Amino acid sequence: MIEVAGLRVILPGAVIALDGVDLAIRPGEFVVILGPSGAGKTTFLRSINRLIEPTAGTIRVAGRPVTGADPAALRAARRQIGMVFQQFNLVRRAPVLDNVLAGRLGYVPVLPSLLGRFPTRDRDLALDCLAQVGLAHLAGRRADTLSGGEQQRVAIARALAQAPAVILADEPTASLDPALTAGIMGILKAINTERGLTLVVSQHQLQTALAYASRIVGFRAGRVAFDGPPAAVTPTVVDAIYGATR
Amino acid sequence: MRRAGLFVGLLVLAWLLWDTGADPVRLARGVPWILDFLRRMIPPDLTVLPAALAGALKTVEIALLGTAVAAVLALPLGFLSARNVAPAPVFYPARTVLNLFRSIDTLVYALVFVAAVGLGPFPGVLAVIAYTTTSLAKLYSEAIEGIDPGPVDAITATGATRLQVLRYGVLPQVLPLFLSYVLYRLETNIRAATVLGFVGAGGIGFYLQTYLRMIDYRAASTALLVTIAMVMVVDAASSRLRARLI
Repeated sequence: MIEVAGLRVILPGAVIALDGVDLAIRPGEFVVILGPSGAGKTTFLRSINRLIEPTAGTIRVAGRPVTGADPAALRAARRQIGMVFQQFNLVRRAPVLDNVLAGRLGYVPVLPSLLGRFPTRDRDLALDCLAQVGLAHLAGRRADTLSGGEQQRVAIARALAQAPAVILADEPTASLDPALTAGIMGILKAINTERGLTLVVSQHQLQTALAYASRIVGFRAGRVAFDGPPAAVTPTVVDAIYGATR
Repeated sequence: MRRAGLFVGLLVLAWLLWDTGADPVRLARGVPWILDFLRRMIPPDLTVLPAALAGALKTVEIALLGTAVAAVLALPLGFLSARNVAPAPVFYPARTVLNLFRSIDTLVYALVFVAAVGLGPFPGVLAVIAYTTTSLAKLYSEAIEGIDPGPVDAITATGATRLQVLRYGVLPQVLPLFLSYVLYRLETNIRAATVLGFVGAGGIGFYLQTYLRMIDYRAASTALLVTIAMVMVVDAASSRLRARLI
């Protein structure tokens, strides 16, 4: 579903964020990316839909090339890659439903969308996605009146509205009260099992990662340091990812 | 070091006083004349009130029309001169042109347009448009540069086109600011439009200047009072509207 080969990313300031990553993610997997901050987790996720431009290497998602794609092909590829961010990244002043409808922008006719008009079919779909995260009753509220946990669920609904093949989630629970972690991860897991979507989620909490993942990929210094099932994550493996304990 | 700075500052100040012919004695000698001027303004000649009110209305019209047209014309310019939205080859020339034209005041434009299209409110409107467009474009572009990049990332990730990203990721963040700037400009343009009458570009300033030239100080004081009332009313209405935007 996601094929990454020889991915290198050098950020401005000559920082080597990713240093040769090869990874093949199969359909329906729930991959959790682990690693210390600065290991390249965010850069990896943002490279997959080219929010960050890779320096070298190739990326294919659901059979479409992402690297080397012209603007139109890139938009078509992005359409099938939902993304959830640590800071939710909702348009705070806009109503909840408008935020979810934004997930349809890659599908609807451009000119009417610029005037704020969406086909009824897309509105219905957006409402369905909102219902799926349990927030249909908040459709008309302004996004910034919602709690952090609710905002992240709206962001997940926006990703779902894209009818994606893959959802990338970059530390989706890091900005939330720890008590809300299970709720968000549970929704992502449900999307994975019920819809069969492929999920790639970065996490800094080891226990959470082990509880939800079908596969763990550990990053360290821009390279894959571990790749295997949660059951194979031994203390030695944790050391390999996070560095030797003193 | 600080003492030397103070010394140089005082030296410059002294030279400025000498070069501008500033003279407290001359000012003191002028006081009776000012008092005489004020005495001759009382009581205001209310027979010219209808003419003054009509002039004030014309001034408000000039400011309103000029500001409204400029608010729209400044939109594309604002986006083109925002560093985080426009590509570099567009941004740099756009920013340079803006800074160049912004250094010219409304009054200078009025002189040019009066010469070009003749006396009356029309050159006033043109002058307000010319100055306000560049000044608003600058304010717009700064608002755009100050946005939260998160929603822009999120909308880009849905596979939206560039225009859709501007419409859904940028515009909702900056629109309340834009409106607030437009109202602020309207307030300053009312004042600017008052002075425009002095160079023949219509409105209350034209009456004020005419009465002063005819040495009809009581009529001039009516025009002055109407000007003050007009500015206060517009300021109050505008600041009330602005408070509701934020």
